[in-house]
Amino acid sequence: MIPTIKFDEDWSYSFLDSLENNRGLNNWSKYNMALQAGKKRLIDNFHELEATKHLPHLEIFPHQYETAQKVINEMNGKAVLADEVGLGKTIEAGLILKEYMIRGLVKKVLILVPASLVTQWCRELNEKFFIPAIEQRKRPAWEQIDITVTSIDTAKREPHASVIQNIDYDFIIVDEAHKLKNKETKNYQFVRSLKKKFCLLLTATPVQNRLSEVFHLISLLKPGYLGDESSFEKNYKEEKDHEQLNELIQKVMIRNRRTDSGMDWPKRKVQTVPITFSPEERELYEAVSELKNKYRGFAQGISFTTLTLQREVCSSREAAFMTLKNLMEQYGDHPEISQDLNDIAEKINAVKTNSKAEQVLSLIQGTDDKLIIFTEYRATQLYLQWFLGQHGIKSVPFRGGFKRSKKDWMKQLFQNQVQVLIATEAGGEGINLQFCHRMINYDLPWNPMRIEQRIGRIHRLGQEKDVEIYNFAVQDTVEDHILKLLYKKIGLFEGVIGKLDDILEKFSDNQLEDHVSNILLHSESEGEIRVKMDNLSSILAK
Amino acid sequence: MNQAEIHDYLKNFFIENESTILEESDGHLHIQLSIDMDKALMNRPFYWHYTEKIGAVPNPMKLTLITDSNLAPEDIKGELIHFGSPRLHQIFQTAQELGRHALLYESVQPNGASLPMKPWLILNGSVSYCCDHKKDQFFSIGLSLITGEMINDIHSQIKNKRFQEQIPNYCFTMTPIIKPQAGLERIKRYLMGQEKLKEHKWADDALSRMKKDEALLEAFYDGEEEKTETYDQEKEAIKAQYEPFINISIINGGMFYFSNHPSDNQNMVY
Repeated sequence: MIPTIKFDEDWSYSFLDSLENNRGLNNWSKYNMALQAGKKRLIDNFHELEATKHLPHLEIFPHQYETAQKVINEMNGKAVLADEVGLGKTIEAGLILKEYMIRGLVKKVLILVPASLVTQWCRELNEKFFIPAIEQRKRPAWEQIDITVTSIDTAKREPHASVIQNIDYDFIIVDEAHKLKNKETKNYQFVRSLKKKFCLLLTATPVQNRLSEVFHLISLLKPGYLGDESSFEKNYKEEKDHEQLNELIQKVMIRNRRTDSGMDWPKRKVQTVPITFSPEERELYEAVSELKNKYRGFAQGISFTTLTLQREVCSSREAAFMTLKNLMEQYGDHPEISQDLNDIAEKINAVKTNSKAEQVLSLIQGTDDKLIIFTEYRATQLYLQWFLGQHGIKSVPFRGGFKRSKKDWMKQLFQNQVQVLIATEAGGEGINLQFCHRMINYDLPWNPMRIEQRIGRIHRLGQEKDVEIYNFAVQDTVEDHILKLLYKKIGLFEGVIGKLDDILEKFSDNQLEDHVSNILLHSESEGEIRVKMDNLSSILAK
Repeated sequence: MNQAEIHDYLKNFFIENESTILEESDGHLHIQLSIDMDKALMNRPFYWHYTEKIGAVPNPMKLTLITDSNLAPEDIKGELIHFGSPRLHQIFQTAQELGRHALLYESVQPNGASLPMKPWLILNGSVSYCCDHKKDQFFSIGLSLITGEMINDIHSQIKNKRFQEQIPNYCFTMTPIIKPQAGLERIKRYLMGQEKLKEHKWADDALSRMKKDEALLEAFYDGEEEKTETYDQEKEAIKAQYEPFINISIINGGMFYFSNHPSDNQNMVY
C-alpha cells in the first residue's frame, strides 16, 4: 500500500513570506547550525532504542533495556510490566516513555499512581529521564500540561474526570495496577474510559487471588485479547488449558525475576526471632483463646473477632485494647460475655511489659544501622514510638494515610536524622528505602504478597548491603502457625516469589487468607490446627 | 554528537548570537549572554517585561555550561551538557528557529567583468514513516530555478563553499524562470512521487497489526446488542496508534545564488 503523505506547507508559506518581505533571512552560519540541530533529531531506524543515548548518566540494567525493547517492538507499546518488586519497573516505564517522546510518537501523557508516589514519580522522570512531568494537585490544568502525574483518586473525581476523559492521550501509565483487578470498581471503569494509544500497567503482583484478575487487567490494555469474559471463564476453567493461557499472557506481560535478572543481588538473611511471652502476656493470650473456644458456634461474630484479638495480643496490648472495647460495647447487654470481656480487660491492665518491644531494643542497641519496623496495627506503631523514645531512640512513623508531603518528610528524616522508621501496612507500598538494610516484621501478615511488598522496600536495585530480615513470632500462638506455614515451609523469605505465583494460582477461587482463618477458627485443638496447617502447606509446597 | 562536537557547536552558537565567551577550557564555557539569548534561553519573561517597561539598564545573565567535567576546572559550577540534556535541546530548538530561512550569495571575486549568478532553491528536511513506530530519512534537495535541474544531497556538495548575505561586487542575479512557489511545488511533487514508487512493507506490517487488534476488539464486543461508546473510542485509538502515514517536514531551506553549477567545487578564477 501507499500510505497517505503529508507535506509541511507551513514552512513553505513562511519562507515565501520571508523572501517577499526580505526579513527573517539568516546568514550561512546560522543556516548551518539550524540544519545541524534539525538533523540531530532525526532517527533513521524503526526499532533501535535511542533513549539510552539521551541518558548517559542513568545506569540501565540489561533486563530493563530488554524489557523496553520488547515492549516497543513486540508488544506494540501495550504491556503489563510485572517485575518483582525492586527490579526497577519505573525505570523501564521511563525508558519506554522517553523513547516514544524522542521519536515524536507521544506528546500527551497521563501517569496515574497512588497518591503517595506522585512526587516521587515526578522527581524520577524529571531527574533521571529529563521528562518534564508535572504534578497535578489542587488546581490542575489537564489540557495545558502535556505530561501529567496524578493520583487515580484525584483524576476520577469530577470536575476532573470528564475533562480527562475527553483528552486524546498518547500514552497512559498506571502504577500499582493490581488495584484495577475488579471491573466493578470506579477506578477500573475510569481507566477503561480513557482514550489512549500506548499503555503500560505496572504491578508487582499481577495475580493475587483469581485468574479473572488477569483477564480484567489485560482487557484494559487490549480488549478482546483473552476473549470476552464468559468465554474466558469457560475456556480456562481447566488446569490443562493454563499453559496455553500462560503463553498468551506472556505476549502482553513481562515479568522479570530476581533470579534471572543476571545481577548480583544482595542476599536476604532471614532470621526467625522466637519471642517468649511474659507470664502476664501469656495469661492474657490464653484468656482470649479460651473465649474463642467457649463461644465457638455461639455467634460467628465473636469467635471471628477473637481470632483478630489473638493476633493483636501478639502485637501489643494497645492493639488488643481497641478491639476489646468495641466488643464490650457490642455485647454490653449480654451478662456472661460482658463478664468474660471484663476479665480480659483486667488481664490487659495487668500486662506491664511488651516482650517483642524489648527484643526490638536489643536489636537496635549496639548498632547505628537504620532499621524499619513493620506492624499491622496503628496502636502498636504509636506504642513502639513511645517505647523507643523512653530509651532515647528517635523514630518516625509512616502510614498510608499521611499526606504526600508528610511522607516525603518522614522519609527524609529517616534517611538523614533518625535511626528507626515504624511503618504500618498501608505504608508499605512504593516507598523506596534502599539506604536501609535491616527490617523487623513485628507481626506477620497472612497474605504472602504483602510480605514481599515489605521486603521490596529495601531489597531493591541500589541496595548495596545484604538485607537482614527479622521475623518476630511469639511461641505457641497463632503467629507460630503462620510463620511455620507460610514462611518456613514455602521458603518465602528466601525470595522465591516465582513460586508464589503458582501458589496463588492454586487458590484462584479461595483466598489463602480465608483458608488459614478457617483452620484457626474451626479446629478443636492445637493438634488439629497443626495437622490441618501441615496439610495446607504440603499442598502449597507441591 | 560527542562531547567535543557539542562543545564546538555551543561555542559557535553563542558567538554567532552576539554572546561573549568570558572563559573557556576544553570542558567548559562561561558565557555572557546577549539580551536576545537571555530572552530565548533563560525563561524570565517578567524580568524582561519589567526592565523594558521602566527603561532600566538590562542585565542579561551569565551561563556556565560544562561539556566535559574531566577537562573542566575542578571547582567550576555549571550545567552539565550532554546529548540528552534539556538545555542542549532548547539550544537546538533556538538554533533551528534562527536559521529556518536564508537568502545567500556564493562569495566570489570576479575579475572585472560582470558575472551572472543563478538562483537555486534548496530544501533540507526529512521524510518520516510513521505508524506505531517511526523512522526519519534526511533529504537535501536543490532545484535550479533556471533549468529545473534537481540535485539530491546538495548540502554535502555546497557545505565547503562560502556564502554572503549581500550580492558580491560586479555580480548580477538572473531572474528565476521558475518562481519560488512553483519550485517548492516541484520539490514537493518529486518527494511524494519518490515515495509512491517505493514498496512500503512497514506500512503493510502496521496495517496487519492494526487489523489484528481490531479483530480482537470485535470479538470482545461480539454478541453485545449495541456497541458502546467505549467500543468506538477503542476503535479510534487503535487507528490512531497504527495507521501508517508519511510525513514530509522541512528543517530549513533557502534561495541560493551560485556563479557556477553548485556541484562544481573548483574555485574558478576570473
